[in-house]
Amino acid sequence: MSDEKPTYTEAVLRLEAIVSTLERGGMGLDETLKLYEEGAELLKLCKSELAEAEGKLNELQLDEIESELQSEKQ
Amino acid sequence: MTGSGQVTTGPLPIGQFAQLVKRTVAHDPLFRNQALKGEVTQWKQYASGHTYFSLRDEDGQMSAVIWKGKCSIDPSIKEGSEVVVIATLDLYVKRGNIQLVVQRIEPVNVLGELEKAKRLLLEKLNQEGELERTRQRIPAVPKHIAIVTGAGSAALSDMHRLIDNRWPGLRRTVIGVLVQGPRAPQEIVRGLAVTRALANAEVAKHRNQPPVDLVILGRGGGSPEDLWAFNLEPVARAILASPVPVVSAVGHESDVLVSDLVADLRASTPSDAIERVVPSRNEIEFLLDEMDERLKVASQRQLIDCRQKITVLHSRLRVAPLAGLNRAKGEMMRIASRIERATRQSLNIQSNILARCEASLAAVHPQRVLERGYSMTQTAEGSVLSSVDGLQTGQDIILHFADGSADAQIIKTQKNEGTT
Repeated sequence: MSDEKPTYTEAVLRLEAIVSTLERGGMGLDETLKLYEEGAELLKLCKSELAEAEGKLNELQLDEIESELQSEKQ
Repeated sequence: MTGSGQVTTGPLPIGQFAQLVKRTVAHDPLFRNQALKGEVTQWKQYASGHTYFSLRDEDGQMSAVIWKGKCSIDPSIKEGSEVVVIATLDLYVKRGNIQLVVQRIEPVNVLGELEKAKRLLLEKLNQEGELERTRQRIPAVPKHIAIVTGAGSAALSDMHRLIDNRWPGLRRTVIGVLVQGPRAPQEIVRGLAVTRALANAEVAKHRNQPPVDLVILGRGGGSPEDLWAFNLEPVARAILASPVPVVSAVGHESDVLVSDLVADLRASTPSDAIERVVPSRNEIEFLLDEMDERLKVASQRQLIDCRQKITVLHSRLRVAPLAGLNRAKGEMMRIASRIERATRQSLNIQSNILARCEASLAAVHPQRVLERGYSMTQTAEGSVLSSVDGLQTGQDIILHFADGSADAQIIKTQKNEGTT
């Protein structure tokens, strides 16, 4: 995985892979703990992504938002 | 009724006046077989076979009638159709209504022109590869949806309702634009430009929101002309220019517009768009909880497995030294018995050799030689004499025999010839 924060989709895919690997079993203590920690971290990230999707509802006419953006630029 | 040319003396009966108007109108070529253009309203086809309607535009309107069987009527003509008629003005004397008697009626083929333009645009986009381009992936959980649609439209309230069912409070920005009429294409293009700005990380940071990561371009159903903005090149180009996925959600199921064909996702209606891009928060949370559980259970089982392996190793480790010792002891005993056997064999050989040596030695013992009749000569000091060299006349010597010895004196020495 890259250093950049994974997207929700990437996180879920990796999580799925980790869980499947653990469910298949047969790895050592070190690897188990490492995978568990990574999985827990990914879960935390996914849950925080959900919270991030919540926000304000903006409803603006075209002219309003255009002038807002214009004034922000200056 | 008075004949023409007669001087009228009193007020004219209205019916007569109406007849007069009718005749005058009928004689004016301006009002005969005139081609007229307008929009059909109050279109009514009666059981009698006659069709009544009004022809109107922004500036005015007139009643019209198509008498039964007088002309063929294109079945596509309906309320709101733009038509061209060939008609003659007539006054319906009984009611004093002026109406157009239609001899021919044809729908204006606006759509034909539009369809042709749409086809050409699609060909062009296809040649540029835009129709086959790799689509942008819809985010699994959109953090900021921009909706470009008619402000206050039914489509918008449907979308809000569905979003709040699936994910209450999901962040969204609605950009209200005109979605039909001559200004619609330009407004849609501007609306999409705004979404591009909102998708920019810096702009978003400045506005204290996550960047827009999904755009829904929507409007409800309408006539093909109403939806036409979504078939125009500037709108298609604005969709293609989007840095984030665009969902085209225009009209009804059956309408396929250029915007549908260039967008990253085509939804058949605005409601369908929401169903397809807004996940249900409950479902997602359920899935994550399930994953959480699976992760914990699997890790735990794995840890138990590890512990069991350790236990097994531990008990093996405890018995391992004993097994080693036993093995070593056995080995030692085997070696010891081999050594013993080897030693014994070796001793036997040695004693045989000794016995043989003893016999040989016994055979050569001086006593045996003496017994055979030889004697041994020694000096008085005890050295055995084996040569006459060095013997002095008168020297004392001792002669040893098998059964005794005798002291003697050298009288004369004489050396054998040929010896040194």
